[in-house]
Amino acid sequence: MTAWGGLRAVVACVYLFMLGPILITAAVSFNESNRSQFPPRGFSLQWWQRALAPEWIDPLVFSFKLASLTAVISTLLALPLAFALARYRFKGREAVVALTLGPLMLPALVTGVGLLQLFQYVGWRDYIGFTALLVGHVVICLPFAVRTVAISLHTLPANVELAAASLGASRWRTLWHVVFPLIKSGVVAGAVFAFVHSFTDVNLSLFLVRPGEQPITVKILGFLEYGFAPTLAAVSVITLILPLVLVAIVEKLSGLGDFIYGEHKRV
Amino acid sequence: MAGDHGLNGPRFARAPVPWLLVAAPMAVLLVFFALPNALLLSTSFLRSEAQQLTDELTLENYGFLFSRSLYIGAFIRTFAVGVAVGLFDVLLGYPLAYFLVRTKSRFKGLLIALALAPLLASVVVRTYGWYIILNRFGVANDLLLGLGLIEERIAFMPSTPAIVVGLAHALLPYTVLTIMGSLNGINPNLELAAMSLGASRTRTFFHVVLPLCLPGIAGGFILSFSIAISAYATPAILGGPATQVMATAIYGFMTQLLDWSIGAALAMILIVCSLLLLYAAARFGARQAAL
Repeated sequence: MTAWGGLRAVVACVYLFMLGPILITAAVSFNESNRSQFPPRGFSLQWWQRALAPEWIDPLVFSFKLASLTAVISTLLALPLAFALARYRFKGREAVVALTLGPLMLPALVTGVGLLQLFQYVGWRDYIGFTALLVGHVVICLPFAVRTVAISLHTLPANVELAAASLGASRWRTLWHVVFPLIKSGVVAGAVFAFVHSFTDVNLSLFLVRPGEQPITVKILGFLEYGFAPTLAAVSVITLILPLVLVAIVEKLSGLGDFIYGEHKRV
Repeated sequence: MAGDHGLNGPRFARAPVPWLLVAAPMAVLLVFFALPNALLLSTSFLRSEAQQLTDELTLENYGFLFSRSLYIGAFIRTFAVGVAVGLFDVLLGYPLAYFLVRTKSRFKGLLIALALAPLLASVVVRTYGWYIILNRFGVANDLLLGLGLIEERIAFMPSTPAIVVGLAHALLPYTVLTIMGSLNGINPNLELAAMSLGASRTRTFFHVVLPLCLPGIAGGFILSFSIAISAYATPAILGGPATQVMATAIYGFMTQLLDWSIGAALAMILIVCSLLLLYAAARFGARQAAL
């Protein structure tokens, strides 16, 4: 089929466009010289050595801590919220939904500016840095966690809970022994989305950093003012690998795909 | 694409009102999301003098922004970039989405994962790839010089087209996800029916498939448009002082010029634009990507 063959050629070009810059970044990080030669000339690990210095490892660890804590907190907040939204119809539910999805609708950049102003206004200036970043990240990651948990609650037949209850299980017992194990993969997926969203954020973090307390994305952005440095290419690759490995592990263990794509299969 | 049905249509309702369940998350969102945005809204109507906010109400902040050619230029550039990014992403994203939905390749799963994997990298990292390619001593210049197509090095960046390419690259997976969602909803039997009635594959595509997924296309366009207008990193890296957009201007007001009221007014204009776009997307029946 010629039309299909043409489509395949176009698709190959689109993949090249999507993945090319990332592959070039990776290749350049092994360059021998201080320039962005591509294809790289020679092979050297010197830029990787520099990327592993405290100057870059510290913000990387900072980002990792921030994203992990954000994932845990936003998942803990998301669980009761998603349960209430999926299982109850109550007055003010629409407002709760609107507020939950709000951070997804309004630009994170603006929320970052607003939080900066709030922290200065109420005299929490000392908390700008890790604490302010954590609060901001929890806010922008919460909608992702809530949606994912809500989806798995919806795909769980309500009869399961009724069955457990009719066999005499208490409400908490039902939740703990029946509902939670069944939505576990959704909860894990939500936490992973929150982690990735926090780890890759720059629009909100931009406004809430202080020297020594900045995530890797903001650190890279600041460093770019000095122009090209192969060290940055190596750092970029490291920050790409971390979430990739995490997602691959979780995908193997409990499956993520269904929550990103393919929900149609589940219904 | 983790569908928005997730939050709609509760299965069964039972007494008592679950305010206990929603209390903690709602408190967090009220204090750290609603309050800061409300604070910003009020700041945008306050006069500031010598980097200090006063109590005086005014519309001057908005007047200032709409009367300076520098900021009018930034508005226009922001929207031009948004439209260009949206078009770019639909043009590139549609063939990819169509292929991914219809392919029978045994690598389908891997191909979908590859198309979405870029979302795992920060926009900063992905834009840095374009910096390596486009800067004066970058890969593109080396390549063109090596092929003898140019005599002297060209400055591809800082420039508005560089920003468009960088953002289109960063937001393409969202567009692909949105369009895949709408293509998934089309019954493949419709295509078979059209073809069995004698329509060619091309004719079937243009007269059956394309009209059916127009909402998905519109949704993908508006989604990348709305994210593009509030993006900071890409315009900051691939642009310069001469290619200000709204996001970089807000950053300037807030951290360098320290003019909070004008920065807040600019942020409010950005919010209104984003909400209008999302409203338009909802009217087209498009769903928002969730990753």
